[in-house]
Amino acid sequence: MIAYFVACYPNFEKSLEIIKKSIDAGVNICEIGFPTQEASGEGIIIKNAHDHCLQRNVTLKDTIKLAKAVRNYNNDVGIILMGYMSNIFKYPIKNFVSDLASVDADGCLVVDAPHELREENELRNLMNKKNLSLIKLVAPTTKEERLKKLSNLFSGWVYSLNFSGISGSKSANLEDVKNMIKKIKTYTDLPVCSGFGIKTPGDAKKMTQTGCDGVIVGSSIVEYIGKNLNDTKLPKNVGNIIKTFVEELR
Amino acid sequence: MSTEKIKNSLKTGSDKDGYFGEYGGIAAGENLMNNLEELKKAFEAAIKDKKFLDEFAYYCKHWIGRPSPIYFAERITNKIGGAKIYFKQEHLNHTGSHKPTNTLFQVLLAKRMGKKKIICESGAGQHWSAAAATAAKFGMPIVGVMGKIDCARVNQNLIKAKHYGGKLKIVEGSLREAITAAIKEWSNNPDYYYLIGSTCSSSPFVDIVRYAQSIIGKEMREQFMELEGKLPNEIIACAGAGSNFTGSIFEFLDEPEIKKVVVEAEETAALTNGTKGIQQGMVTKFLQSDDGSKSLGGSSLGAGIMYYGISPQLAHLKDIGAIEASTANDKELLETYKLVAQNEGIGISFEPAAAVTEALKRAKGKPKDYIICATACGRVEKDLDVIERLIGKDFE
Ligand SMILES: Cc1ncc(COP(=O)(O)O)c(C=O)c1O
Repeated sequence: MIAYFVACYPNFEKSLEIIKKSIDAGVNICEIGFPTQEASGEGIIIKNAHDHCLQRNVTLKDTIKLAKAVRNYNNDVGIILMGYMSNIFKYPIKNFVSDLASVDADGCLVVDAPHELREENELRNLMNKKNLSLIKLVAPTTKEERLKKLSNLFSGWVYSLNFSGISGSKSANLEDVKNMIKKIKTYTDLPVCSGFGIKTPGDAKKMTQTGCDGVIVGSSIVEYIGKNLNDTKLPKNVGNIIKTFVEELR
Repeated sequence: MSTEKIKNSLKTGSDKDGYFGEYGGIAAGENLMNNLEELKKAFEAAIKDKKFLDEFAYYCKHWIGRPSPIYFAERITNKIGGAKIYFKQEHLNHTGSHKPTNTLFQVLLAKRMGKKKIICESGAGQHWSAAAATAAKFGMPIVGVMGKIDCARVNQNLIKAKHYGGKLKIVEGSLREAITAAIKEWSNNPDYYYLIGSTCSSSPFVDIVRYAQSIIGKEMREQFMELEGKLPNEIIACAGAGSNFTGSIFEFLDEPEIKKVVVEAEETAALTNGTKGIQQGMVTKFLQSDDGSKSLGGSSLGAGIMYYGISPQLAHLKDIGAIEASTANDKELLETYKLVAQNEGIGISFEPAAAVTEALKRAKGKPKDYIICATACGRVEKDLDVIERLIGKDFE
């Protein structure tokens, strides 16, 4: 199970507690999103969480710090930073990669950085040198010819998008997902994880029938956090929710 | 022209990766990549198709009313004392700005691609009303996205677009937010045609809009040769993201003796004050926080030039010294509007008032045979309420 968290949402300490409890509950990979204003791939739920953090001046630097704290807590969990090119470019790219390596994260995923973007090439080359994975996405709109090209660039695992659209906006169609995972797997031996539109433990269970190697849950966790920002038991409760997902995936 | 000159021509589109020098490119999500590839192929094929280009030319003439005339602003020229000031009268186009040339081109392209529905963004609503008119003309449903700040001040355009059958979605903010929201709509509906309003976002949009709008400069060349027997010494136009400016100067890019000056709103002058970054689908200059997480910039009366980024092609052209950049503030826009209305009987909108402001500054003291052409890219209707509220009493 892969869970997406918005870094420092609602604040650094609580966010760290939430991630710790999620690791205790059995999350395999933590995707830690760094907030940015544009967030062109995000639906209203994740966008609101980004805005909450931006108002509190959360930066990519804070996200790196959070990743370090998560690594200090657990040596085995996968840590992937997720976000947009804007912040990485300004960090700048070279320092971002060395910081990513120094906090012992596993890689990152950049929503708006196709391999056609020269700055993506720069990022990917530097990450490869440090044995970090730049996770690539495949969308339902990705044509076979492009998938073939992409498969040469896959690293770590493959993020398979269950629908074309922004996060949290639609539901996944099981048949479509099945076909897509099958198609991707003809081009790679790396794990293929299925994300977008997985809202409940029931959804996650259904996804296991598609042949995917993992599921990514984002909006529904972020939504729960958003609705319970001031609840002192928030980290524990998120852990419990994660547990219900993990149990369905066993 | 020598072959050497052609070899180093600036009159080219983006390179194979969609860059202009170090700016441009494609910073889009994976689910839009197929659309962008498809669009690039369709665009490249369309501009080699004589039938397509003839159709574009036909409607440019008979539906938009092109060519838009050039006009010698004689009374202003005499008042300033110096260079001859001309306007390229883009405000006389159907729907009142340079925008319909681009919407016509792209709706024809959408039709050629077999697209059935259109989505677009807009700042000042000039693109929105032009896009809705064009969509109506070709029987295509259209959805537009605009920011609340702009909707509150350009009501005329919203009413017009509604009458043409456009459906508008309103989001918080202004053009920046409208572009992001339109891209999200497009992600959700990849079968739509995304009709962008300016020279911004991912490749090939910058090339497509530039191609359509460069008709402005081509007309200017013919018109000046006919009327003055020579070309203008300076060409000035305003820029939000830069389509009317790019359209005005592209024709003359290999003629460095002609000065090309782009004028941004002082409050959102990305070319002058921005830093390189990657947002809104492209690498270019933005007004942004040091860490790239937030946009900066203030508010301008000119809704169409209140944009925190700039065309990547213009960022490149400025870096290599092929164009100059300047700014105009709200006070200047109002004064220039008034001067043009009272002396030439022409109501220009706030955006071209930025260009004319710069033209006035540069004309002063120049020789009498020096020609400055400012692109008057919009008519005042959308801004009348704001002007009346701010300086209506000046006219009483
Ligand atoms: C009248 C007018 N002029 C200029 C602009 C700026 O657009 P661009 O920079 O693409 O020329 C706009 C944009 O909405 C406009 O409405």
